[in-house]
Amino acid sequence: MASANSAEPVYLPSTVQGAVKILVTGPFGVGKTTLVGSLSEISPLRTEETMTAAGADVDDLTGRPEKTTTTVALDFGRITLNPRLALYLFGTPGQQRFWPLWEDLSRGALGAIALVDARRIEESFDVLGQLEEQQIPFAVAVNTFPDTPDYPEDELRASLDLLPEVPILACDARDRQGAYDVLIDFVDHLHATAVLEPQP
Amino acid sequence: MNGPVRPYVITGGRSRPSPNVQALEELALESLVSAVPEAELGELLDDEATLNREQRRILKLCRELLSVAEVAAHLGLPLGVVKVLVGDLWDLGAVQVLPPVVPPVRQANLLPATLLEEVLVGLRQLR
Repeated sequence: MASANSAEPVYLPSTVQGAVKILVTGPFGVGKTTLVGSLSEISPLRTEETMTAAGADVDDLTGRPEKTTTTVALDFGRITLNPRLALYLFGTPGQQRFWPLWEDLSRGALGAIALVDARRIEESFDVLGQLEEQQIPFAVAVNTFPDTPDYPEDELRASLDLLPEVPILACDARDRQGAYDVLIDFVDHLHATAVLEPQP
Repeated sequence: MNGPVRPYVITGGRSRPSPNVQALEELALESLVSAVPEAELGELLDDEATLNREQRRILKLCRELLSVAEVAAHLGLPLGVVKVLVGDLWDLGAVQVLPPVVPPVRQANLLPATLLEEVLVGLRQLR
C-alpha cells in the first residue's frame, strides 16, 4: 500500500478555505480510477478503510453472528478549483457488500457519477439502486470502451430503469477533455436542480 | 505502518473519534488539516507521553494543507485510524482543521446554488 503513495505530498495552496467532494462509483473494473486519474491534478492516491460487516454468508453454528473485517481500497484525486476551494473525487466501490462504507463516504458529497460499462449493464443495477435509495444526486456516465455498442439513449435509460431526470452522459474515461465534460455537465445538472439559498 | 501493528494499538484502543468532543463528528475525508507551527506547540512536542509516533508523523506531514484522506494515503494508515489521530491532535490544539464546505448532513437537492456555481466556474476554467 505504501508503495503507491511514496510520492511526495502535493500540498494545497494555503489560501484554500475548504473542500467539497463528488463520488465516482460503479462496478469493479468499470474505470473509476481511470476517470479520477484523468480529472485529478495529483496522481491518484490510494487509501484503505476497514469495514466490519455481519458475515451473513458464513454458517453460524454458535448462534452468535460472526463479524468479518474487510479492507477496502479507495482511490481518490483532487482538483483545486480556485484559490479558496478544492474538489475531491472519491472512487467508491459500487458492490452491495460495500454499502456500510457509503454512509461515511457520501455524507456531504455534492453527488455521484455512476460509471456504466454498456457491455455489462446488469453489473450497475446494484449501485444505481443504492444511489436512488440513499437519495444521492447522480448522473450516469457510460465509459466508452472501443467495443462498446452504441445504444440509443432511450434504450439505455430503459435498460438501466432510470428516472427521466437522471442525465446519461458518455466519455472515454482515459480522455481528460471528455472526463471534464462529464464532470461539468453533472455539476451543471446539480446547479439546475439546486434551490436558491434563503436570504438572511 | 511498520510491521503488523493493529489500528487499535495506534489509537489507544478506540476506533471512533472522542465522543466528548462534538466537533470531531465533523471530521470528513475532505476535511483539511494543517499542523500548528512547531514554535507554537512548545512543550507538547517534547512530551513523549502525549503524542505517539503516528501523531508526530501527521504533524510532520501536515506542515501545509492536506485533506484527511491524503494524510491517510501518504502515511499508509486506514482512514478511520487517521480520523481518530487527527481528532486527538485537534483536541490538543496541535492541528487546525477546516471543516468540509458542505455540512455532513445529506439533503438531496438542497445544495446551495452559489457553491455549485463556484465549482462550475472553476471546472470550466481548468478544462
